[in-house]
Amino acid sequence: MNPSISSAERLARIQLNAFLYFRADWLERLIEIFGSAQEILRQDAPTLAREANLNPATAAHLLRDAFAVNPQEEWDKTTALGGYIYVPEDEEYPQSLKNIKEAPIALYVLGQLPSNEQACTAMVGTRKITPYGRRAAAKLAGDLASCGVTIVSGLARGVDSECHAAAVRLKKPTVGVIGTGIGRCYPPENRALEKAMLQYGGAVVSELPFNSPPNAFHFPRRNRIIAGLSQPVVVVEGEIKSGALITAKLALEMGKDVLAVPGPIDSAQSAGPNALIRDGAGVVTAVSDILDYIPQQLRFGLDSRFFEKKDLSAPKPEEDLTPRQREVMNAVGSSQASLDQIAEALGADVPEAASLLFELEVKGFLACENGLYSKSKF
Amino acid sequence: MLANVCTGAIKGIEGFAVSVEIDIAAGMPTLAVVGLPDAEVRESKERVVAAVRNSGFDFPAKRITVNLSPAELRKSGTQFDLPIALGILAASGQLSAEASTKIQNLLVLGELALDGTLRPCAGVLPMLISCQPLGKTAVIPPQNVLEGQVSGAPFITPHTLKELADYLEGKLEESAVKIAYVPEPEKPVCSELDFSDVKGQALAKRALEIAAAGGHNVLMIGLPGTGKSMLAKRFPGILPPLTQEESLEITKIYSICNLMGKSRLLTQRPFRDPHHTISDVALIGGGSTPRPGEVSLAHNGVLFLDEFAEFSRSSLEVLREPLENGRVTISRAKETVTYPARFTLVAAMNPCPCGHLGDPHTPCTCSPMQINRYKARISGPLLDRIDLTVNLNPVKYTDWNKTSEGETTAQIRERVLKARAIQRTRFAGSATPANAFMTSREIKQFCALPAGADQILETAMRKFGLSARSLDKILKTARTIADLEGKDSLETKHLVEVMQYRPLDRKGVADL
Repeated sequence: MNPSISSAERLARIQLNAFLYFRADWLERLIEIFGSAQEILRQDAPTLAREANLNPATAAHLLRDAFAVNPQEEWDKTTALGGYIYVPEDEEYPQSLKNIKEAPIALYVLGQLPSNEQACTAMVGTRKITPYGRRAAAKLAGDLASCGVTIVSGLARGVDSECHAAAVRLKKPTVGVIGTGIGRCYPPENRALEKAMLQYGGAVVSELPFNSPPNAFHFPRRNRIIAGLSQPVVVVEGEIKSGALITAKLALEMGKDVLAVPGPIDSAQSAGPNALIRDGAGVVTAVSDILDYIPQQLRFGLDSRFFEKKDLSAPKPEEDLTPRQREVMNAVGSSQASLDQIAEALGADVPEAASLLFELEVKGFLACENGLYSKSKF
Repeated sequence: MLANVCTGAIKGIEGFAVSVEIDIAAGMPTLAVVGLPDAEVRESKERVVAAVRNSGFDFPAKRITVNLSPAELRKSGTQFDLPIALGILAASGQLSAEASTKIQNLLVLGELALDGTLRPCAGVLPMLISCQPLGKTAVIPPQNVLEGQVSGAPFITPHTLKELADYLEGKLEESAVKIAYVPEPEKPVCSELDFSDVKGQALAKRALEIAAAGGHNVLMIGLPGTGKSMLAKRFPGILPPLTQEESLEITKIYSICNLMGKSRLLTQRPFRDPHHTISDVALIGGGSTPRPGEVSLAHNGVLFLDEFAEFSRSSLEVLREPLENGRVTISRAKETVTYPARFTLVAAMNPCPCGHLGDPHTPCTCSPMQINRYKARISGPLLDRIDLTVNLNPVKYTDWNKTSEGETTAQIRERVLKARAIQRTRFAGSATPANAFMTSREIKQFCALPAGADQILETAMRKFGLSARSLDKILKTARTIADLEGKDSLETKHLVEVMQYRPLDRKGVADL
């Protein structure tokens, strides 16, 4: 690696980056005014305020936050985990991120960032995932990963985890942009997922200082990085007021394409994507709809078979199912059904229904949540 | 002058004989009770003084010492009033020599009112049973006649102290101091609560049937109004009838707690449903003078805990001992007692704090974090002791309006009885009462895996995140399902059905 800036300047940037109440482009402007981050840190608050035309209180706050961070320690801890802290001057810093208005001035990265020639698609959505969202996310993310696209998401519960997990199952790289420092795992149950992502060539990315806790305001902020790294941005599920829709809005402001997975009109979790479609977002009914929005120059190396139009709603002969098992699949339909409902539809007793459901669940056709069965794949 | 009267006291759920020694000597008029008496026993002297006077006797103005022997055991209860009063009458020479000799053949129990009337007291049944080898005739208050009858010991039931004295003097016949015991007619088992009242919920009914057949604990998770409480209340109806021995055990516990009421020997399995605000001590038993808690009152019956996740953490954790051992040991600085507590736990809870998770009509307002936290209130070790977990979903109108009745309690009970009969033969000569209580050795012996089942269990463990620990539960439950079918050996389908009753889903973790 050929360091583009001195290590002292890198440490100063890390220190400056700790001031989270400022947009990143304001920090860039400060660096321009003073010439370097080190120079900024040498100022006292009144000078800083005067020179940069800042509110004196803000300037004092900035310096206080910056000096609360020990940059050497941040660096040591990050590299101890095998990570690196990039600044925009680095070659490895993603080009797509450099192009956005508020590019992070320091980027903590574990694992391997996608190259500038790699197609990246963001898939975002609610934490309160429905079974429909689960199978849509798993199917689309799985197909994208098989095709060779890197999925960028937020490593949160629900849709995010489902998308990352779909890639990990195929041993494909996927990038998680998290709302805490990279020294933490949030939500804690995703520790195994995070480990697997790193194992298969993916990355975990954050602009926050190493040990930042999961504060609410971190999450909308990191959404701009998700959108910035990707083209297009796909919203799987989400309520009207949700982080997924914030990401969509940020993506539109950056001039990215926003796509949405349509859902039932009476589902709160599909209200967000449905509203996006109404307002002109692209409709996703199969992976080819997403691939159409991948920039031409990034399509090299993608599996062309996935670009063909496929109708996921068409009934398929479900390979190795017995007639009785097929009856169960029909009884479940596209929504959820309890064992009682399925048993009634089949005219079966509890033991028979239980054994049919067990076989289908083990084979991966059905998933059970809170006693309700739903199809787990298209 | 010295007198000696035999009475009884309680330790745990067993009685023991107590000898009341009374000495009257010249000196300052006092009445001292020694021999580890509890507060209610110390208070007894005030009642005794008044009762003796008001029954037409003199209370000797002398120095009176009452000793309760064995002196090292704590004595509580109000049954000491009558023996002390009787002893004072004998020691002060107000009874004839003949009457005083008769006292030697009596076991005297009873609380006194200030006018000398006998009042009922707690724990008469266990005391009578434990003192039976002494071969004495019991004197018990008329209200405790049922317990006298149940114990099988000879007894009389005078109404007042005066009546007892007159009987001893030969002025009254035995028939005059013994009231007739009229048993209440036996009620049919839960006639007004029938399983056919519950519409739909075939899976939950099946789970309860399995629970009843094998003595397994059940957790029902479901939206409000899906029939969790309805099902639980009907559960005792499908349990097998009590044996004589079991019946006596629970009657003893109810006797100690003074909960006998007017009923007869308890022949129905108890159903206890404490509120979720219950204190640990009320649930498990205890107190400075230990008393049985709800878990012991549910002995040989059903403990129904509605809103399971709302119980305090510590209350839930104390359930682990009785669920594991079928008894509760309460250790206090002064004594240690053991109460039996072998019950079937039927627990019910909502799927999430707001209660609407999975509701097709009302959306759930809980965050995934809240839901996880709610479910985490039921600790792993506690869940390990619950063999069957079942989800209840809203009943459709068409189900509710169904004209065809579901299975009745009687039909289900018949299958349960058959399964229990098989288990009785299986566990003849062992302490294990039912499949749920099998030891590891018995599991090895009676739950041999059918061919090909290894693979199923392995898949299930991986797919559903089951622990190796839960395999024993699966085997025990599968054994019960096989018994319900009258099959000698386990089959794959029995194991597969058990998977339907696996514990709470792990939420929000994507499969890798």
